[in-house]
Amino acid sequence: MTLEHRAFMYGELQQLLDTAVPWLREGVERDEKVVVVVRETGMNAVRDVLGPDGKDVEFYPSEVFYKHPVRTLRDYQGIVQDARPHTVRALAEPVWHGQSPRETREWARYESLINVAFEHSGARALCPYDQSVLPQEIIEHARRTHPKFARGEDTLHNDSYVHPKDFGNGCDSMIQLVRPRHAEYRTIESDDLHDIRAFVGERAVGHGLDTTVARTLVTAVNEVATNAVRHGIPPMGLWIWSDDRDLICEIGDNGFWHADPLTGFLPPESALQRGFGLWTVRLLVDLVELKAGWDGTFVRLHVRR
Amino acid sequence: METLVSVRRPVRELRPGDHALLTFANDEEQRNVVGSFVRAGLAAGDKVIYLAETAHARVPGAPNPPPGRLSMVALDGFNGRSFQPRVVLDALVEEIRRAEDEGYGTIRVTADMTWAVRRPNGLELLLGSELRIEHAIAPSTSVIAICEYDRRHCSPEELGALHQAHGIVVVPDPEFEDSVLRIVRTFDPTGLALIGELDASRHMVLDGVLARLVSSINGSEIHLDLSGLGFIDLGAINMLADVAARRAGHGPLVLDRMSPQFRTVMETVGWHMLPGLRLSDDQ
Repeated sequence: MTLEHRAFMYGELQQLLDTAVPWLREGVERDEKVVVVVRETGMNAVRDVLGPDGKDVEFYPSEVFYKHPVRTLRDYQGIVQDARPHTVRALAEPVWHGQSPRETREWARYESLINVAFEHSGARALCPYDQSVLPQEIIEHARRTHPKFARGEDTLHNDSYVHPKDFGNGCDSMIQLVRPRHAEYRTIESDDLHDIRAFVGERAVGHGLDTTVARTLVTAVNEVATNAVRHGIPPMGLWIWSDDRDLICEIGDNGFWHADPLTGFLPPESALQRGFGLWTVRLLVDLVELKAGWDGTFVRLHVRR
Repeated sequence: METLVSVRRPVRELRPGDHALLTFANDEEQRNVVGSFVRAGLAAGDKVIYLAETAHARVPGAPNPPPGRLSMVALDGFNGRSFQPRVVLDALVEEIRRAEDEGYGTIRVTADMTWAVRRPNGLELLLGSELRIEHAIAPSTSVIAICEYDRRHCSPEELGALHQAHGIVVVPDPEFEDSVLRIVRTFDPTGLALIGELDASRHMVLDGVLARLVSSINGSEIHLDLSGLGFIDLGAINMLADVAARRAGHGPLVLDRMSPQFRTVMETVGWHMLPGLRLSDDQ
């Protein structure tokens, strides 16, 4: 069962309702699992127009559902799994305002990853984009991350669509890792990482993280450092610093890890599956950036202070 | 009631002058502790004195004892008088004197005295004798004693009184111990307790200990107590899932108590990431 992943450009709420509500109703009639994730402003309108047809529909405000792209993918995966044998139909509108360029890039990547993560799920997703307020950059992303467009009741083929691997490569090429001079450095000598953990834990608390967040960061750092020791080329090391928003840990080695652009984004089936480690790291911290080049492989972990 | 803080000491750390109490949960725990005690003694050239039901009983840790180094004191040799704890303990003390005369530097004594608790007035008689033993051993520079009692056959009050009579509680030797991680066998329930920190540098150690445990227990449940684990890495979580998967069809791997760090990780990724693992109900 293939995925149907369509973008829908609208300018007024009424247009959204005219297209989305009959589509949602169709899902209810077909006994699909119907989910509505829209911004709070549109939620009540969708609910009102659906009326009694919406009694089995699940509603989530976008502001709550779209906080962290990798966690949102995990949550959608949970919905798809729980719904089986029914398929899922989701009206899915991410949040695009108040983001740093980095965050916007990761949410665009997320839209692209949907095509791989749910490729064989039979799910249908309709993603509304409010053209009246969204910057052109976001609309451009939408064109490159959705294989189809919805216009009224019609579905149009989208020639601008880019395969998620290519889109991911594009995102990765935008990553610039500049390290401030005041970053503290520790070398990583072996997979006995007790001292590195103690150091990161102490600095994390010193930079204002609470103990649970600090512990979680330590777990993530440990995993990335273990990978560097196992697969990287010495010297391996860790830098830590903070800016006005985040605490940042970067683990580097001298090797060249040409990672698949989908690595660690897609939820594994279980802890036994390859990729469980990096996927968990992505879940545990706010943002992971990975960059491999002539000077080595660098994995940067961001945690909001 | 007088509060008593017993010193807990692994078998291998017992020293001459120690009069230690073992309250075992089952035969397996008894064999583990007594076996370590006897084995270490025979390996070091000590004298081992062992109280058994019969003179032909198998002694844990001594499949082929060197002649003369292991003395058995058999309960069935007392013709009914054995039911006086004092008579039996006198016989043990006599064996100790003989070993001293023979010039042994260290003399190890161990006796399962559960039967004595169950005699009329048993506990009272026993405590009197234990006091004599305590006074005889504490100043000794050669004798180490372990008094064994089966927890299943003693009331909490009796166990409390026995604790009062012994300065030291002996516990099993850790399966592994270094400055970062300690792995301890548990017997009630069957499993392991992990204390300290676990990262990739010690995966092989845990894998080895788990494999030994799995092969020794015939497919029953394995419980892991992780409450003392300050850190567990994602690779170790993967390993636990792997052990659970390999045991499909046998008793499950049960996580009894989790450290906060482990719980946070699992709540983030979802417990379904650990198929085959069971969480005990008390958490």
